[in-house]
Amino acid sequence: MRGPRRGRALRHTRLQVVLAVAAIAAAVALPVVLISVGGGVSAHELASLQNAGYQIVVSAAGLHGISHAHALAERILAVGSVSAASPVLSVDVDAYTTSGALSPVLAEGVIPAQFGPTLSPAERGLFPSPLPLGDPTDLRHFDNGSYSGPATYDVLISFPFASAEHVGTGDTLLLSPTTNRSLGTLYNVTGVFGVLPTLLGPTGAFLVLLPLSDLQTMTGFGPSASATVPDAADTVQVAVTGAVAVSPSALAVVRGSIQALVPLYSVTSLAQEAQQLESANAVLTGFYLALSSVGLTIGLLFLALVLLRRVEAEHRSIGIRRALGLPGWSIAGGIVREGLLLSVLGALTGILAGYLVVEGLATWATSTVQEAAALARFDPTVLAEIALGVAGLSLLASAVASRAALRLEIGEALR
Amino acid sequence: MNDAAPRPPELELANVSRTYFAGGAEEVRALRTLDLRIASGSFVSVEGPSGCGKTTMLNLVGLLDAPTSGEVRWDGHSVGGLSDRERARLRLRSVGFIFQRFYLLPTLTAQENVELPMRALGLPREDRTRRAAELLSEVGLSDRGRAFPHQLSGGEEQRVAVARALANQPGLLLADEPTGELDSGNTRAILDLLVRVRSARSATLLLVTHNPEVAARAGRHLTMRDGSVVRDVAGN
Ligand SMILES: Nc1ncnc2c1ncn2[C@@H]1O[C@H](COP(=O)(O)OP(=O)(O)OP(=O)(O)O)[C@@H](O)[C@H]1O
Ligand SMILES: [Mg+2]
Repeated sequence: MRGPRRGRALRHTRLQVVLAVAAIAAAVALPVVLISVGGGVSAHELASLQNAGYQIVVSAAGLHGISHAHALAERILAVGSVSAASPVLSVDVDAYTTSGALSPVLAEGVIPAQFGPTLSPAERGLFPSPLPLGDPTDLRHFDNGSYSGPATYDVLISFPFASAEHVGTGDTLLLSPTTNRSLGTLYNVTGVFGVLPTLLGPTGAFLVLLPLSDLQTMTGFGPSASATVPDAADTVQVAVTGAVAVSPSALAVVRGSIQALVPLYSVTSLAQEAQQLESANAVLTGFYLALSSVGLTIGLLFLALVLLRRVEAEHRSIGIRRALGLPGWSIAGGIVREGLLLSVLGALTGILAGYLVVEGLATWATSTVQEAAALARFDPTVLAEIALGVAGLSLLASAVASRAALRLEIGEALR
Repeated sequence: MNDAAPRPPELELANVSRTYFAGGAEEVRALRTLDLRIASGSFVSVEGPSGCGKTTMLNLVGLLDAPTSGEVRWDGHSVGGLSDRERARLRLRSVGFIFQRFYLLPTLTAQENVELPMRALGLPREDRTRRAAELLSEVGLSDRGRAFPHQLSGGEEQRVAVARALANQPGLLLADEPTGELDSGNTRAILDLLVRVRSARSATLLLVTHNPEVAARAGRHLTMRDGSVVRDVAGN
């Protein structure tokens, strides 16, 4: 076993060791990437849920499914502890600038005085205050559903839209529910607002904000006799007073009262949604771990193989130790140590590789993936759990090899 | 170590045979119906031509191997029923093996090789370091403790093996040509050491040798041929 033969055998084993470590590393890198990115994204969504300016959402099945939005908002506002009830109608419309450029935008119709209080602190800083939409309560134009009062024709536009289309405060903007320009209505741009970066959702970039009644008349989701839903909205976002917002039980009571008003609509609190999000994330994490257990099994098989080869290569030393009467644990100890060392090395390599992959995605991937990767969270507890799990499982591989070592025929091993 | 070291066992081979089955129909009858009693504390030399079964017999006596038929007894009790763990424990505590081929661990230094059995017995580091150094100096290697086996000459390796065999102060010393690689000066020194250790603790010493001078120090002389003891005489 000396000379070149020994050298070749050594390179051979080294290659196997590298392969085993790489297999474990690959198996570890996968869940590290998935869990850290998935966890980061859901933590981000959770944070935006928890930081929202409203706590309860009323929604209906189907598009623009809430009817009598103005009246409903009034009734919800009358419920105790409710500080704002803001119906929101979102419709895709076409916007024509004075230069004639056409771009599709998402138009949101709101009651200005109700919309303001449902903004989160972060959002509030992005809007001019007070909202420069002429009719704060939207009741002059709406006028008990007749829509015969004077409309303001005020519109706020998002900063990305403003800069992309070179429009600003004081300009006019033609909004049309169809591609037919002649059906459009001319609005005055009275302000520009910033948007928060959103993730994996409809982008808020090309957004315009106008009084609810204006959007309803423009799109026919209001006064027309043919409208299936009169005075329509998609959701009513409800803000509650401070003390109730932080008390789950008090919030549940308010939610119940609102649900009683609208038994056919769904009324959810964001806390509930957050909880669902969290449990969904836990399920996903479990799924990711199960998925990577396949790779891990392969890695551990490799490890067992390497350790068995090591036992084979060192059968003489093992034979000597056993001949001297050294106890089993002292012989198995070396194998277990080696297994632990290799698996921990693999786990650390995998964690590092996972980290680098996420960093790489955050730098070079396409936009959505990049955004998601940038949110990744490397939770030391989770990483430690993964590393510990791998190390624990490596004991299985060590056990297989140790068993082989302790079953070695001493006489044979010493020949 | 423990002052009340157990008295060395009375050894008995009753109708023992050992046949190696080396794959297929080929078999080697290394020992055939051996009957032998070795009194506690005696010094027995074993001679015989190569391949006559000397090492095989030592392996059976030292619990490294089990007979194909017959019984090996320590103090009248058959050791055949002992578990692997019990046999290992007995080897560690009570048997000092000086292997024919030394069997030092290549990755450990001379000092560490000598310490190994003491470590397995849980001796404190300080004690075992001191004792290993003492033993190495007794075999004339006080300055070679840090050398690895491949850095030692055959004779030096053999002397490290002797030191290791004495580490746990065993009651039974099994020496398989312990002076085969040594010059006459070292042969005498090692032999003196073994004899001294034996009489100090009235250990049993079973010594395989081709050297008549060495054999002459024993109190009983066995000669083997073809797996049997053909001569068994007392006296020195
Ligand atoms: N594990 C084994 N498998 C097969 N044959 C073996 C084995 N061990 C020993 N033998 C054979 O058994 C016989 C006795 O061997 P043993 O080692 O006991 O001889 P020995 O008297 O010690 O010889 P030497 O003086 O050369 O050391 C030999 O023929 C040897 O080839
Ligand atoms: Mg021999």
